[in-house]
Amino acid sequence: MTSEADPRLLSPAWSASPPGRRHRTRLRFGIAVCLPLALFYFAWLLDPARIGNPLLYGILIAAELFNLLQALGFWWTCAGERARPPLALIGEHPDVDVLVPVYNEPVDVVEPTIAAARRMDGARVHVWLLDDGARDEMRMLAKRQGAGYLRRKGRTGAKAGNINHALRRTSSPIVVVLDCDHVPQRRFLRATLGHLAGPRIAFVQTPQCYANADSGELAAAAWSQQALFFGAIARGKDGHGAMFCCGTNVVFAREALEDVGGFPEGSLTEDFELSVRLHERGWRSAYVPEVLAQGLGPEDMASYVSQQHRWARGCLGALGLVLRARLPLRVRVQYLLSCSYFLTGWTVLAYMAFPVIRILTGAQPLAAPAADQFLLHFAPYFGLALSMVAMMGSGAYTFRAFALQSASFWIHVHASLLALLRRPGTFKVTPKRGADGRQPRAALPALAAAAVLLAIAVAGLVRGHDPSTLNNVAFACVHLTVLSFGVAPALRGRRRPAAAIAPAERRAAA
Amino acid sequence: MSATPTMASGGRSRGAAPLPLRALAGEQLAVAAGQLAAGLGNLAFSLLAARLLAPGAFAHLASFLALYLLVHVPATSLSAGSALSPELASRVRRQVLAAGAGVGLLLAAASVPLSAALHLPLAMILLLAAAAPTAGLIALDRGRLYGLGAPRRAARSLLAEPVVRLSAGVVLGLAFGEAGAAAGVVLAGWAALAVARPPAYAAPRATGEAAAVGAGAGTGVTVVAFLLLAIVQNQDVVAAGALLGPDEAGRFAVLSTLGGLAAFATTTVPLMLLPRAASERRAFPAAVCVAGALGLAAVGVVAIDPSALVGAAFGPRYAAVAGLAAPYVLAMALLGVTRVLVAHACAVGRGRVVLVLLGAAAALQLVLLLVLGHDAAGVAHATLIATSALAATAGGAAVLQFPRAGTRARAAVRPLTTPPGAAVLALTAGGLVLRLLASRGLWLDEATEVSQAHMSYGAMLHNLASTDVHPPLHHTVLWLTVRVFGDGELAVRLPSLVAGTLLIPVLYRAGSELYDRRAGLAAAALAAVAPFPVWYSQEARMYSFFMLFAALAVWMQVRAVRRGRPGDWIGYALASAALLWNQYFSVLLVLTQQAAFAITVLRSGLDAGERRRLLRGWLGSALLIAVLVAPLLPFALEQFHANESAGKGFEGVPSQAGAAASQQQGLARPAIYGALTNAVWAVFGYHSDASMTRIAALWPLGILGSLALLGRGRSRTTLLLVACALAPMAALFVLGQKKPFIFEVRYFCAAVPIALLLIGRLVTGWVRPAAAAVALTLAAAGLMGVAAADQQLNQSNPRTYDFRGALDQIRQIARPGDIVVYTPQYLNTVIAYYGTGVHAKPLDNGLPRRHHSGRVFLLASFQDKPQYRNQARQSLLALRHQGRRLIASMHRPQIRVWELSR
Repeated sequence: MTSEADPRLLSPAWSASPPGRRHRTRLRFGIAVCLPLALFYFAWLLDPARIGNPLLYGILIAAELFNLLQALGFWWTCAGERARPPLALIGEHPDVDVLVPVYNEPVDVVEPTIAAARRMDGARVHVWLLDDGARDEMRMLAKRQGAGYLRRKGRTGAKAGNINHALRRTSSPIVVVLDCDHVPQRRFLRATLGHLAGPRIAFVQTPQCYANADSGELAAAAWSQQALFFGAIARGKDGHGAMFCCGTNVVFAREALEDVGGFPEGSLTEDFELSVRLHERGWRSAYVPEVLAQGLGPEDMASYVSQQHRWARGCLGALGLVLRARLPLRVRVQYLLSCSYFLTGWTVLAYMAFPVIRILTGAQPLAAPAADQFLLHFAPYFGLALSMVAMMGSGAYTFRAFALQSASFWIHVHASLLALLRRPGTFKVTPKRGADGRQPRAALPALAAAAVLLAIAVAGLVRGHDPSTLNNVAFACVHLTVLSFGVAPALRGRRRPAAAIAPAERRAAA
Repeated sequence: MSATPTMASGGRSRGAAPLPLRALAGEQLAVAAGQLAAGLGNLAFSLLAARLLAPGAFAHLASFLALYLLVHVPATSLSAGSALSPELASRVRRQVLAAGAGVGLLLAAASVPLSAALHLPLAMILLLAAAAPTAGLIALDRGRLYGLGAPRRAARSLLAEPVVRLSAGVVLGLAFGEAGAAAGVVLAGWAALAVARPPAYAAPRATGEAAAVGAGAGTGVTVVAFLLLAIVQNQDVVAAGALLGPDEAGRFAVLSTLGGLAAFATTTVPLMLLPRAASERRAFPAAVCVAGALGLAAVGVVAIDPSALVGAAFGPRYAAVAGLAAPYVLAMALLGVTRVLVAHACAVGRGRVVLVLLGAAAALQLVLLLVLGHDAAGVAHATLIATSALAATAGGAAVLQFPRAGTRARAAVRPLTTPPGAAVLALTAGGLVLRLLASRGLWLDEATEVSQAHMSYGAMLHNLASTDVHPPLHHTVLWLTVRVFGDGELAVRLPSLVAGTLLIPVLYRAGSELYDRRAGLAAAALAAVAPFPVWYSQEARMYSFFMLFAALAVWMQVRAVRRGRPGDWIGYALASAALLWNQYFSVLLVLTQQAAFAITVLRSGLDAGERRRLLRGWLGSALLIAVLVAPLLPFALEQFHANESAGKGFEGVPSQAGAAASQQQGLARPAIYGALTNAVWAVFGYHSDASMTRIAALWPLGILGSLALLGRGRSRTTLLLVACALAPMAALFVLGQKKPFIFEVRYFCAAVPIALLLIGRLVTGWVRPAAAAVALTLAAAGLMGVAAADQQLNQSNPRTYDFRGALDQIRQIARPGDIVVYTPQYLNTVIAYYGTGVHAKPLDNGLPRRHHSGRVFLLASFQDKPQYRNQARQSLLALRHQGRRLIASMHRPQIRVWELSR
């Protein structure tokens, strides 16, 4: 990858800041309308007269209540948003250790990060390349760029162990952690160090921005999911004092890290657990909604699945820790919301199962005559809730992102089962470059679900054309379509739009 | 490397001057004449054989000819391939020969069981085996002749077949019976092949691997495309044989034979076009014209007197299908034109797109055949719908040179010679034809308005003010129309037809300016086939005007805000005033637009100058609307007081049937399904109550639609359109809680053109690649086309009132002294319109006297309303008590007629 073609060096195309002065007013107005609509729907839904098949009804209620809690949490989070402006440190420039852990990433991915880190101003920067891959080419890279090079003997604790090893060998009062593909801007420290000077601020997180979002539909959808988090949700979490560390583009006070004994090494989401421990010890966090570094997101289905599985497994595994931790209530609830998000897949599974069961057995969760009333009560709630997602995400959250998330239902289910069985997970680095071929195996469970839905839709059409069956066929088709869009990147392989092909590559092709 | 085969040797060199259209069309016609002559010759052979052979022997020969055709039809797709790439003939000759020989050997090997199964003499099966190798070769070589620019030789090959049949076939037939005649047919095939075999010097010039690869891709697609066309042309015959009983299948065979005329006459046209399409600019329009002319001629021949034609050619027992002859021949004529469109697409490298269309059309036809194929009419309608949809979509794909997304139309109207202009012209013409095709009779409201239009203008206004609930614009236009064009069905519907057709180019312009040309073209394509505009273009009422003025008002509003020229503001004011003069409920749209102006003026981010400009224009246009509408106010007030004092309001308006589907059972007020039903009506038109319930049950697909909007961004234009579509509907929904009949799609049909604009935007903005946008647009238009077909043809559409049919039927059997009594009383206008020569009176005036000796026809409509149903039932009993007996009853859509006699 030449520097000319590297999208991480271009200006970011996205802003994590709130979209305008009236945003917060609109948002609160939207929530004020959503709440009575939610009440209207649930008051109707929870009426015993609605019970069709009791078991299915129970599952529906559980799924709907879970989603309502997630929605309420989302609205509550966003309503409390805080948008900190960049804040420089006044006075003498402090020493800052910039830690860039590396395992098996290519040199051309890592080198721009090291070079850009070396150029950061606002502090005396010491860049360290933490090479867990023990490769001499990395040593040469560090030497070439004037960065420090650290290599350890084992690989215990994966990324967390690597960082902890570096923490023991460095001494600056401020530590920056950058994933090796995240290229920081020159003003990264100038925009963040001022906030770190606040009382008991343990870390300042900045957005993770995928510069390769244009490289294919999967990268775009994955980025769209990230944009919602690092926009409205992260601003909201910061407003509630509950922003957690996301593992990269983050500035730590060494004192805070030492207070909790460094990064926890037994977790798949070491950053998340570290945040819990820091908040538990009374440390605070900050979020600067400004893109100060750009990295590379997953470009193919296998990478995405690997990343999501690690996050789901790690966050669900941390549920016990969050429940046990002595945290302020609102911070605890924020953490619980983040952890429990990865149970969403169960609700998707339940929703997909309802039409299948109805067409196969005739059983359905709601009493049959309730269909039109269901629409009357559900549609306003659903429509406005969806509008809220669109509004809070400032349009960044797309249908493809939703589809990809829905098609990942099985990852949530699998991860939660593993968490329940306390099976240990292994830390896998998310590949920084996508594979070009098709990867149907990476989406096999979603494909199987799509096949079942297709078969059931056809079976429904063959079996009868009564309105009730057609209604369920339509539901099956909705799920089928969403799943199809979600798994499409796995079936089509990575396809880069012409605009995303670097000029250098175009010249080479010519 | 392009797969476009530009190396056809017979094609003219690039430097050569293009041939004039007339010359190209002349060549086409000459070859088509050869084809037609060959067809006539073959027909003459069959007729001669029918006279010369014994009936049983002729039946054997007819079966043999059918099997011969069966072997040849799939092979003809090879003609298209070799016409496009002449070198294909030499490249695959051996394989084709081997395949033909293989089929021949198989037939020969299985001749004994086949002979027994098909009840054919063994010799004829063996002759069929001998003919098998020629099928593919003839197709290949004839195609090559077209490709090499030797159509006359191809014509000679075509003519060789009937010549040999009529000479050798007749002689052999006389000598050896049916087997001899069959041998003549086989000989004719081999002779045609010998003539078609081109001389060696005419080998294609373009050789080389690159050319072969490029051609290979294109020719493969072409062959498959023409194979699919053959399937569309012939699968209805197969389906008729499989689905229908022998009698009904025989009736369809008559239609198929007649339809074959149109299909056969145009066979050579696409083959002539294929080698020239890429290099000769006018070859395509010439081919379209020739195929269209030949198809129309065939339709014309059949349509002049189908009963006489069918009776003379097939016997009186097939007279029942005479009414279907013209539509079926039209279907085949459309297929003929489609073949040209497909050939053009294949020749210019867009064959893959048409493959998708053809596959979809074949699948659609199959589904329709399975759904509708209960009788010959159903099979014919299935084919007509499929071929119409195919022709429309292939035509759309041919002319829609989709511009790049985001290209906004220039302010000046582009000349109609540019591709989008031609596309809009084609869509408008297509939309007009579609609007003209249906011929349902006037319904009650239309007849009432026509009767009002017959009054003096002053009397009409007085009548309107005292008895009606509508403003006078449409009545005034109709009053003038009746005086200029008379009061025939077409005449009184002319204003609606014009407005409904104008909606197509207006939506193109509006879509182009509001979004981009893609959206404009898509909106125009949708408007051409959308059921609701089609329906109201055929109704002598104000709703077509309503839609047109609404589209104009919204377009002008966006223009005024964006550009702000005085003409834009005046245009907006005129459109709004016209809306108000046309339909009172349009005030809801006008108010929505005024609110949008207010929001626009008050929104932050405007500089002072811009705000002043907008404010000036807004207030000025509002003032102009007020001035223009002021004269209407006294009239409206008088009307309102008259209705109030008469205690009518909107409950007094006879509602149309089908409203039941829009109301929740047990509730008098509109409910959520009512809103859904009205929304479905607006987009997909009127259908039977059962269909509407089913369609409404598909509401979860709306979830998908709303999810699809995620991440699409927000546009003020879209918000305005959504508000203009939904706000009046929502207001009427609320008002409908008090006065239920108000919540009726006709009264917010302004939402329909706006919805079409939004759908146009959705299908073209959803995807970037032009091909995908075209495919989505065609899919949406196809869906609407199918809905329109169901709306127009399905007699269970509750909005279809066949007063014309009922009264025609009565008139045919009524004698002097007979009387028609009808209920409800307000049918008087429609009875007066269609009941010329029939003595009729309303039931409210009493039953005929007991001693009335003539027959009594009791005609009842609106039988979904209990009071009229009971009135009809009681009257029937009373007439029986008078000593009359029921001798017949008939059903027409929404009408019942009982015939009683002493």
